[in-house]
Amino acid sequence: MRICITRLLDSAGVVLTLCALSLTSLAQEKQDASQRGSAARTFFNKKVRPILEQHCYRCHSHQAKKAKGGLVLDSRRGWAKGGQSGPALIPGHPDRSLLISAVRYEDLEMPPKGKLPDKLVRQLERWIADGAHDPRVTKSNVRQSKIDIEVGRQHWAFQPLGRTPPPAVKTTQWPKGDVDRYILARLEKAGLKPIADADRYTWLRRVSFDLAGIPPTVAQVREFTSDRSSRAREKVVDRLLASRAFGERWARHWLDLVGYADQVGTSNSVFARYAWRYRDYVIDAYNKDKPFNEFIREQIAGDLIAADLPDVEQRAASLTATGFLVLGDIEIVESDKAKLLVDIVDQQLNKVGKAFLGLTLECARCHDHKFDPIPQRDYYAMAGFFHGTSTVYKTERGVWSDVNVIELPETKSQQADRARQEQQHTEKLAGWKRERKQSIDRRAKLSERLENKELSKEDRDKLTKERDERSGRMGQLEGLILHAEFFVPTAPRVHGVKDVESPTDMRITIRGNPRALGEKVPRGFLQVASTRRPDIPAKQSGRRQLADWVVGNPLATRIVVNRVWQKLFGEGLVRSVDYFGLPGDRPSHPELLDHLARQLIREGWSQKKLIRSLVLGRTYGLDSGHDDHAHAVDPGNRLRWRMNRSRLDAEALRDAMIMVTGRLKPSSGGPALPLEFPENVGGLDPKDVNPPNFRFAKWRPGQEFERTIYLPVIRHGAQPGPAMLRNVFDFAQPSQLTGKRSVTAVPTQALFLMNSPVVKKHAIALATRLGKEGDEAKRLELLWLTLLNRPLTAVEQREAVEFLREAGENGWAELCHALLASNEFLMRL
Amino acid sequence: MDQCRFVQTVDWQLKEPTMTMTLDRRELLRRTACGFGGLALSGMIADSAAAVNPLAAGIPHVPARARRVIFIFLAGGPSQGDLFAPKAYITRKHGQAIKSPVGDDGQLRVGVARFLPMAPVKPVRPRGQSGMMMSDLLPHLSGVADELCLLRAMVADNKAHAPAALQFHTGHIAEARPSMGAWLSYGLGSENQNMPGFITIHPPRDGRTYGAGFLPAIHQGTPLRVPGRAGEVAITNLQDPDTKPQLQRRRLNFLQRVNRRLLNRVKTDSQMEGIIESFELAFRMQAETPGLIDLSRESKQTQEMYGIGGGASDANGRACLMARRLSEAGVRFVQVTIDGWDHHGDIRKALPGSCAKADQPIAGLVQDLKRRGLLEDTLLMVSGEFGRTYWSQDLSGASPIEKHGREHQQESFCTLLAGGGVRGGLVHGETDDFGYRPVQGQVHLHDLHATILHLLGIDHERLTYPHHGRDYRLTDVYGRVVHDILS
Repeated sequence: MRICITRLLDSAGVVLTLCALSLTSLAQEKQDASQRGSAARTFFNKKVRPILEQHCYRCHSHQAKKAKGGLVLDSRRGWAKGGQSGPALIPGHPDRSLLISAVRYEDLEMPPKGKLPDKLVRQLERWIADGAHDPRVTKSNVRQSKIDIEVGRQHWAFQPLGRTPPPAVKTTQWPKGDVDRYILARLEKAGLKPIADADRYTWLRRVSFDLAGIPPTVAQVREFTSDRSSRAREKVVDRLLASRAFGERWARHWLDLVGYADQVGTSNSVFARYAWRYRDYVIDAYNKDKPFNEFIREQIAGDLIAADLPDVEQRAASLTATGFLVLGDIEIVESDKAKLLVDIVDQQLNKVGKAFLGLTLECARCHDHKFDPIPQRDYYAMAGFFHGTSTVYKTERGVWSDVNVIELPETKSQQADRARQEQQHTEKLAGWKRERKQSIDRRAKLSERLENKELSKEDRDKLTKERDERSGRMGQLEGLILHAEFFVPTAPRVHGVKDVESPTDMRITIRGNPRALGEKVPRGFLQVASTRRPDIPAKQSGRRQLADWVVGNPLATRIVVNRVWQKLFGEGLVRSVDYFGLPGDRPSHPELLDHLARQLIREGWSQKKLIRSLVLGRTYGLDSGHDDHAHAVDPGNRLRWRMNRSRLDAEALRDAMIMVTGRLKPSSGGPALPLEFPENVGGLDPKDVNPPNFRFAKWRPGQEFERTIYLPVIRHGAQPGPAMLRNVFDFAQPSQLTGKRSVTAVPTQALFLMNSPVVKKHAIALATRLGKEGDEAKRLELLWLTLLNRPLTAVEQREAVEFLREAGENGWAELCHALLASNEFLMRL
Repeated sequence: MDQCRFVQTVDWQLKEPTMTMTLDRRELLRRTACGFGGLALSGMIADSAAAVNPLAAGIPHVPARARRVIFIFLAGGPSQGDLFAPKAYITRKHGQAIKSPVGDDGQLRVGVARFLPMAPVKPVRPRGQSGMMMSDLLPHLSGVADELCLLRAMVADNKAHAPAALQFHTGHIAEARPSMGAWLSYGLGSENQNMPGFITIHPPRDGRTYGAGFLPAIHQGTPLRVPGRAGEVAITNLQDPDTKPQLQRRRLNFLQRVNRRLLNRVKTDSQMEGIIESFELAFRMQAETPGLIDLSRESKQTQEMYGIGGGASDANGRACLMARRLSEAGVRFVQVTIDGWDHHGDIRKALPGSCAKADQPIAGLVQDLKRRGLLEDTLLMVSGEFGRTYWSQDLSGASPIEKHGREHQQESFCTLLAGGGVRGGLVHGETDDFGYRPVQGQVHLHDLHATILHLLGIDHERLTYPHHGRDYRLTDVYGRVVHDILS
């Protein structure tokens, strides 16, 4: 996840050299300046400062009860801003400085108690004549922001969406739609031509991975490549968009921005018992094509919106959505509760900033943002929305907090289901308790009988054996009962937020310290991106108003379409997909970006429509091959003369491996952690100091063949069991919110592909699957179609046959293994 | 060799790793296109890899005193009052309630409702020429006291294990920032092109402690286990025991041929090239690592020095010996985690056991580094994520003081340093009579990090990486080098 600055450098070596040069000369300048500076500093500290302190501070400093005339002289900012009469002095010009005329008793007479000795006046004059060097750092919390909001508004990302009609192009027959026209116009301007279209095999593999995260089946390949109708591509795209796999693919992109995990906090393996409902909700939202503005609103304020929704399922979905704010990297063992609360607010604001605004709001927590027009006050104005929001509660156990649990409204059928479950559960529990009682009684009896010293050895042994068995069973029962009493059937629950009882504005925390408080900042939006203040109903946090503002902001629309573009084209129009601030990347095609943003709004924020229109375009269908001229002009392919190639991410890679062996198991979601097995759960005893926790002693049958999105995500350390491939292939760690994963090529990946039992098992399964098919030639053809989704070439055929002959008895598994590790399988071209 | 890397780029942040990976890779691939035979491999390791490898060694900012780091992490928080820094006042008041030295700041204090000072569980005496204090529980370390530098006023920011451990490794208590080892691998590269720059032996459970954060993933720590039982492997997937080497070779050759054909078709693709290359490094690691981690190549005498031989110190002895072997082979940062220091209850009974497991391995490592001349330029650091209170903790609320333990304390604790530019036999820093707050020579974790980087020749303010629009450092906006402890 490298950010723009480096990429700019990367693409232009010249910049690097320039920087190096300017840095050298800067360093020289700095050195000279610092020598001059240290003399001036000494003069100030020795001569000037004592005068100011002794003769002026009493009335003109922050220590004064009231700064007379509004003037403070204990900082540069103080005298530069001046008081009611204007700036107190003008560096370099003692004669034009108010301060000098005052100490000379020319106009004002200062200090009022008596004129300063001439020597001191001359020292002040000299100080000002030399430039009024003043190294003092103000201790005031009330600082004037140097940020110019109006200038900030000129930055492209804060501008309203533009409206530029699709440009004219010379090669009029090439574009299939408006998007293609924007692309082609830029290419033509640069004297470039788009490369040839990708062949049908490549296109099908590409669109299948991009939309569904899995490769096409052999049947699908054959069907599409033999379908000569003009609607052949549309049929494929519509099939993919309608498949459950679509939501399973795109939900995972979203979860990267949430920091989703099935674990709470960062230690002790505490389970986020209901997190999976949020994951299922996101899959569902994508598959139902929930308007994305509605989706965003729910993420921020679903709990407040739910109150207005008549439908039970809609209400439940809306409440579930606020998991967005809770399922991040929330620390729950911070012993300092005040700090915990301000840190959570920071995390939530950070997340909202990154996901919807493309800004690093968290930078403005302790000071004004260093690059972006975000004053510290804006941070606290925005933070106020979450300050009034409850996210965690203190548990009964030691220092531990836990994230909020919200009960969802139930549909009729859910109610009926629950009644059934409750009955079963009660019966089961009662049975165990009965058995426990019997065992206790029986054991007591046995012990009593064993006290009889006249027992024969045979009887004694028999009774002892039975007693030991009873004891063993009792231990087992204790565990079962504890587990069952903890996991009682309930109405569906989720992790989410709610407003606190009396939400208030937030006070500035100095350096993030919750006990060093500055002034209170009224809740409000980023000044640079808004002109109005929120109208917050009494007793509410105002998150609903925040949500409305977010979706109405051009930042959010651009962020959303840019991320969709990035997932389909490999690189965003703005490459820093999570950061649209000043040093961020600039859009390669600004008009196109705004065109897409308008299209999104026009089409009711439908993700499916946007995706459909993009993948059916000519630009998406370009080959990913090479062209000498274009490569020389635009090596980074910013102008899109070809399709970008990309390596499959961890999910697509694992799912594809299972898919090609024919074992992918359909799932409809549900809990990721197999907590139903008592051996996977610890710490259930309410007397424990630590909270209940999980481990992976046992997996559900078939879990290893489910799509990766359904496997447990843990917050730190290695991802478990069947999910282990995530550890190797650049999975987005939950603590790293990101719209763009890094892609690495490290030896651990190669070792995994060469040596791990998992890949070997897949290779054997694939070989076995092929073994059932006809002769060698047919099997080879099938292998290539299954794995690489294209027919094999004559050269490949020859090499493969040769390899099989050399490799001997395990030849097929070895061949499958080699291809599973090949670049063409690992990549989407 | 890419010797002028830092000179050329003026500042660290301009050293964008992807830039070093572009030019010569294709050339390299062509040269090695004959396959993965041993000849081709050994030929390319020596020099050409450096041109394309982000792990290539670099030249530092300031004169380096150390070239590599070994960090022994005593996870759980060892009790400094029992081991290194007894307090007369505490010993005098043993078992008598005193007024709490702790302010009412709402901090965690479970089971310390009564402040009962607790004397060290075993005598702590002056050792060596320097007279550095050490417990009778550490007889071997006591023998090398004059090599060690004891920081007695270390300070961290969080009282819970996970955030404190994370801060010790990354500087931050909650975020996934790059770990010390990753920063060093990024900044200085690896001196051995067949091995990663950062290896962590028996790593902490929290993967972020050895993560690369936003740095390129190649700099993350590679976890390594010291095989204790048959069937255990040192590095996951390092070997495929069921496949004959020739078979694997044949499969790889086929695979790389397919890969190169695709690469020829698309002409340039740094990702594809990177993957092809990663297979090569993996293959080299397969060959290099088994020899490196084979402890049987060490003499019996050396093994005994580390306490290897089946006793309490065996496992950690192996880990520490492994650390020396890896470090000697050029791995920039090697960490060994020795846990078992979280003595909340009955510390009298538990602490001797923990010491017995760690004392000889660590002392053996110091001696071994010394006699091989490695201590000169190897910085050894031994520390927990925090220390423990000088007063007792009684979780049950009813047990006699003999059964008490101690609570976490991040307000002050002890860290040991040795070698690489640090003054041996030096005791730095002092806390108040309660052993609670530093009164002199305070060293915050950020300062420790700054000092480590300094010793390795890096200005901690200049080792930066741009991320999310700003430059990040190991020391964030803090840190000052502790010049007083430098030799």
